[in-house]
Amino acid sequence: MPNKQLQQQQQLQQRLAGGGAGGDRRKGSKLKIKSVSKSNIKDGGGDADDFDAWIKSRQLLKPDDQLELTEAELAEEVTRVLTTTNTNVIHNLVVYSFKDSAFVQVPIAGNTVTLMQMEGSALHIDSDEAKIQMEEMGEIGYPLPTLTGSFIETEVEDRKSRIPKVEEEEEEGEEKAAKQAKEADEEMPEEELEGEEEEAVEEGAADAEAAAAEEGGETAGAPTAAPATGGRKRKLLNQFNFCERSALTYTNPRRSVETQTIPPPRSQYGANVLQWKIYDSYAEDFEQQQKEKEKKDDKRGGHRKDVGAKKLDKAAEAELLNKKYLKAWQILERMINQNIYEEIANDYRYWEDPADEYREQEGTLLPLWKFNYDRIRKLSVTDLLFNPMYYDLFAVCYGSHEFMKQPNEGAICFFTVKNPSYPDYIISTESGVMCCDIHPTYPFLVAIGMYDGSVAVYNLRENYEKPLYLSVGVHNKHSECAWEIKWGPDMADGEINFYSVSTDGRVFNWVLMQNDFMITTITTLFLTNGIVEGPDGTEVQLRSCGSCMKFHPTNPEIYLVGTEEGLIYKCSIAYSSKYLMTYNAHHLTVYRIDFNRYNSNIFISCSGDWRVKVWEDMRPEPLFIFDLGSSVGDVKWAPFSSTVFAACTNEGKVFVFDLNVNKYKPICVQAVVPKRKNKLTRLVFNENLPFLIVGDDKSTVTSLKLSPNLRLMVKPPKKQQYLDQNTLQVQKLDKLLSLVRELPNDMIVPDAPTTTKS
Amino acid sequence: MSQEVEETLKRIQSHKGVVGTIVVNNEGIPVKSTLDNTTTVQYAGLMSQLSDKARSVVRDLDPSNDLTFLRVRSKKHEIMVAPDKDFILIVIQNPTD
Repeated sequence: MPNKQLQQQQQLQQRLAGGGAGGDRRKGSKLKIKSVSKSNIKDGGGDADDFDAWIKSRQLLKPDDQLELTEAELAEEVTRVLTTTNTNVIHNLVVYSFKDSAFVQVPIAGNTVTLMQMEGSALHIDSDEAKIQMEEMGEIGYPLPTLTGSFIETEVEDRKSRIPKVEEEEEEGEEKAAKQAKEADEEMPEEELEGEEEEAVEEGAADAEAAAAEEGGETAGAPTAAPATGGRKRKLLNQFNFCERSALTYTNPRRSVETQTIPPPRSQYGANVLQWKIYDSYAEDFEQQQKEKEKKDDKRGGHRKDVGAKKLDKAAEAELLNKKYLKAWQILERMINQNIYEEIANDYRYWEDPADEYREQEGTLLPLWKFNYDRIRKLSVTDLLFNPMYYDLFAVCYGSHEFMKQPNEGAICFFTVKNPSYPDYIISTESGVMCCDIHPTYPFLVAIGMYDGSVAVYNLRENYEKPLYLSVGVHNKHSECAWEIKWGPDMADGEINFYSVSTDGRVFNWVLMQNDFMITTITTLFLTNGIVEGPDGTEVQLRSCGSCMKFHPTNPEIYLVGTEEGLIYKCSIAYSSKYLMTYNAHHLTVYRIDFNRYNSNIFISCSGDWRVKVWEDMRPEPLFIFDLGSSVGDVKWAPFSSTVFAACTNEGKVFVFDLNVNKYKPICVQAVVPKRKNKLTRLVFNENLPFLIVGDDKSTVTSLKLSPNLRLMVKPPKKQQYLDQNTLQVQKLDKLLSLVRELPNDMIVPDAPTTTKS
Repeated sequence: MSQEVEETLKRIQSHKGVVGTIVVNNEGIPVKSTLDNTTTVQYAGLMSQLSDKARSVVRDLDPSNDLTFLRVRSKKHEIMVAPDKDFILIVIQNPTD
């Protein structure tokens, strides 16, 4: 009894002090200490120290805000008064009665509150009824395991339900006692009541203990009986090891959850540090620094540019890659061709005909590659031209000289000696290309003149299939075939321009403006006595038809125009109305005029009247006349010698002359193509190497190497070893000319050609 | 690849003595070939190694220099390699054919 009171006091104190869970924990620990101390006393020391040490660590869990009580305070008795009246009961509840038409007081409900009432079907195993039942079911002593499970469960349930029953009984008991007390004597001292109450509680607890003891006895008895009666094992039930449900918290089932993450990427890295790698990284770093600097500068400019640039980046990159691919393939193709034509390539560079040593005044032409473009087979080569920048790149114009059967297509192809199988650039046109010229300072600019009289300029560097400039419209072009085209020196304000001559008798100057040409008529080639009476007394001035043109190599204002009438006009850009000189040169169309490379006063012309003539400036009579036995398509001075020139004829022959060696006969006549099938149309010398190319009317270009006899250099005289080849060549020509000039005009055998035996 | 490149490639394949062409991408994987699978893989692997080594040689001698082409002449073939940063082109030719 006093122990209980003490506990209650402590509880009260704790609640006052901290209350809640903290207090409860504290209580638990205190109780434990107590029990331990009791055991200490019982054991009488021994290993109590160890225990204490362990416990002390527990004692540290003391709430900070716990009220510290002195011994006296702890010992002090605190009285608690409990009343028996239920304050929640309403005493004056009224209900309106319709019968009496008045409010009637409702009788007071009792203090009893039944929360749950349930009839159990379980029997206590020790009870008589149970024994009878078991006997009836034929079981001996104890139930079968299957049955017992349910049985015992119900039993446990029963027990659990019985505990609150006990409590209920307690309450009932209390209430009964209270009622009795009320009824008997209301003035009974409270302490006694308390005492009774406590007694009742005590009794209840004792009952429960007794029941538990009984059950324990039963379970204790059961195992002993089990082996004796049946052979089956029975699960031992520890009746003491049960917990009040109120003390159980829900134990969360344990779960082990595992997850596997993606393993972090691993990579092995190995590299060699080489000198050039260091160089590269430095170069990269330097570039980045430069970029950053630029960015800083650009920040003032704005960001719009960047957005546009990014969009373009991908397409540009792809194009760049494509270009790289193309370039690599092209070079590989050249390599393959080099392998295929290895022998020719060697000849081209190194073969010197040893037979020349034993021949005098004669040479040979060694055929090298033939250049063809598969898709063009029927057009004739109308012009040939080497690129001024790349010595082995040349342009081939495809058109037709058959004016009755003009094809409606043309082309200009750029071949390189490095790849004889396929042209590097192909430009297709709608009309036959008659002439072309490559700009000397911008070797990617190509001007072409076409059969329909229009001209075009192409840029080989980018998008070369389409013309950069194209003359459009009726008035913006020649009215007839453009025969020759030539880039002129840049204008005073830097504009690029070119000249062209056409059958319509005009020489145009084309200036490349922003988007279009600006055309100026330089000269209209009127015939000197060409005034013809037209209808109704009008006069028509006939024009001569220009067929070729050549600018003076040193004076850019002077140029020569050859005509279909066989005349050669010497004109100046400065005077458009007058000819500086008229040479009565040929009987048929003048196909080509070429100035000597070493003496610009000397020029050569060739014509359809089979003749090649060498002229001196302002001298109306030619210095040399050669008859080649068929129409001469082209004649060119050699770049390496002042006295060597080559011509090609319709019969398919190439003639090479060296006036220094033989003034009357060619030093080499060679049939390049079959006489009956093909005609040679154009010819050009390479500027650097001793070979020339000739084009025929079946779209084929043949390259020919000049044997050593055809390119004899002048040996410097013993006294003048210091003289270079250039002056020697000039001297050689001068000497030759002086020989010719000495003769009186009538002695040159005017127009009585020395016909070559062909 | 653009049409122009394709045409060039086709032309190369039609040239005399050309045994095969291989295009290797920057990862060393043959993307285009006219040879059978094993030969292609072998050529691609070995040639990319060789061109890497050759480039290394050229660049080690002079870092501002670079390898542009490589020709290997053997008794039977000539192997022409165009090594680039982004691709390697290999052409095998039998020049005596």
